[in-house]
Amino acid sequence: MSGNSGLSPGAHGIVAQLAKFAGALRGAGVRVGLTDEFDAAAALTLVDLLDRAEVHRALRIAFKLPRDAWEIFDRLFEEYWDGRRAPQHPALQREPRGPAQWRWDGERVHLAVPDEPPESAGERYSPEAVLRRKPFDQFSESELAAMEKLLARLALKLATLRSRRLVPTVSRGIVDLRRSFRRVLASDGEFLKLARRSRPLDEARFVVLYDTSGSMDAYTRVLLAFAFALRRVMKRVEIFAFNTRLVRVTRMIAPAGIPQSLIRLSAGVPDWSGGTRIGGCLAEFVTLYKQTLIDRNTTIICVSDGLDHGDSVQLAGAMRELRARARRIIWLNPLLGDPRYRPEAAGMRAALPFVDHFRPAHNLESLQGLLRLVA
Amino acid sequence: MNEEIRSTQAAMERCGYIAEPAIATAVYLAKEMQKPLLVEGEAGVGKTEIAKVLARMLATELVRLQCYEGLDTNTALYEWNYQRQLLRLKIAEREARDPEKLEQLIFGREYLLERPLLRAITRREGPAVLLIDEIDRADEGFEAFLLEVLSDYQITIPELGTIRAEHVPLVVLTSNRTREIGDALRRRCLYLYVEHPGFEKELRILHSKVPGVNEQLARTITRFVQRLRTRDLRKRPGVAETLDWTQALVRLHSDALDAETVHATLGCLLKDEHDIRATAEESVAELLVYATAPE
Repeated sequence: MSGNSGLSPGAHGIVAQLAKFAGALRGAGVRVGLTDEFDAAAALTLVDLLDRAEVHRALRIAFKLPRDAWEIFDRLFEEYWDGRRAPQHPALQREPRGPAQWRWDGERVHLAVPDEPPESAGERYSPEAVLRRKPFDQFSESELAAMEKLLARLALKLATLRSRRLVPTVSRGIVDLRRSFRRVLASDGEFLKLARRSRPLDEARFVVLYDTSGSMDAYTRVLLAFAFALRRVMKRVEIFAFNTRLVRVTRMIAPAGIPQSLIRLSAGVPDWSGGTRIGGCLAEFVTLYKQTLIDRNTTIICVSDGLDHGDSVQLAGAMRELRARARRIIWLNPLLGDPRYRPEAAGMRAALPFVDHFRPAHNLESLQGLLRLVA
Repeated sequence: MNEEIRSTQAAMERCGYIAEPAIATAVYLAKEMQKPLLVEGEAGVGKTEIAKVLARMLATELVRLQCYEGLDTNTALYEWNYQRQLLRLKIAEREARDPEKLEQLIFGREYLLERPLLRAITRREGPAVLLIDEIDRADEGFEAFLLEVLSDYQITIPELGTIRAEHVPLVVLTSNRTREIGDALRRRCLYLYVEHPGFEKELRILHSKVPGVNEQLARTITRFVQRLRTRDLRKRPGVAETLDWTQALVRLHSDALDAETVHATLGCLLKDEHDIRATAEESVAELLVYATAPE
């Protein structure tokens, strides 16, 4: 209906204003499409244009603005609708969020923080020296072997989960009358064989987000090996490493073996053992990958001690978004193995409300417990 | 305010729904623009009620589709009445009949069980109100399928052909935001976010739904609940809880709130063990002081 409800000639100024307004919303990071503009224009023909509050309500409904965009909307509405539009819009001056901020060099993503003086950025996020390399070769072979054996045993269970939908099956399942009936027609009214349906096996998806900062050092090698082993038994595992940057490391992991993969990683991940910006890295992950990597079958495993040097509000925002899309979020914290530990670091506290399972990961036994959980 | 929005608001109120202007505007726009209305908000703010009131207001049928994980087209669209078809076939065995005619017969409209979506578009008497409740619980695949139905208002049944809507139904979708609704579906709808009602609105709802309550008690209850919602709770009480609590207090013949009564009836208001404990231990006294203070 939106397309053909014509506007009166006098309304053209308003339509132009509306287009500008929608542009400003987009500039402020609110997702507004062309259909939304059509809907908004159609809605304006139906309301009292002299009633400011009513126009405000109608636009909010027609632009389909989620609750968290109201604030931006209200501010812009004031400027545009009351003719008090400031020459330079503050929302447009804000630091742009999203892909523009990140540089992709074919293998990994760089967080660009050019607005801040480089020295201060370095001090804030990476107290330790940048791009320090970590020797990987001390990893004990027996440890790896034990890990692989453990995982291989649980591999099949781990890689599958049952869907709630019912799909046709040739084996056991509940009787599918619809299809049975169609077969009856073919066999002249006789039920020779009943068609059945059952719940299909959906392939589980895993995303492992891996904290490689200095405070995680003691655990990194074993836990990374764990992530690699996951990768070896399942197709749909994506692994990211983060500290002050987010790096997609999935492809650096060769199916051939863990030692080679570790060597490649040491070369590929910058700022190993540096500081952490969990919030920034998770927010980046959300912006870049949530559409493609996270769905209802995805389990997100975040491995971090939650000792964050960044913004915990940003962290909570990113976690909320992940929570809304993913099947569940498991947070592995090596510090949890210590009975005296309390999750009181700001980052950990911000993330916890969105975590489904908060687990220790300090030894093989705790990882085994994790496998029972995800299987 | 536009006269028609005002009258929409008044009509909703006559049907027992105290609508603030935003809700009335959304309902009016959805009706005029013939677009589905997607309603989001916390549990207990009266999302589902909007559809029910709409049906009452337009004196039409409310067709409800409750979504859940695993919901499929058999339950949402149509199903053949197999038992009846089978019986018919058994009877047909004794008569010598043209098999083609028989097939036509058992795949006729009488053997079709209408499920909510089909029912909503085939209603002859006029447009129905179609409530698709808790869409966030259905799988994303179902959302995509719904998109198709909501854009064309037609349904194809292989054995029967395409069924077009007699009248385009008024569609209300609700979501509790347990997951994000896809952009495509959101774009196709108008969007309304309902918040917990303010003091005046909640007070009016109380009076209209619990006629026996005295003014002083109603004001105290409303102030108490409004204040309680600002607390850090796992599950904030909705209007439904306020109404339950008021009913309980009226049944108990309490004319005023005191600590003892509140403790005894807190379960009407809070449905989470942790919330109940935290509130009972820490804030009942303070909330009472606030609620009973002279305005």
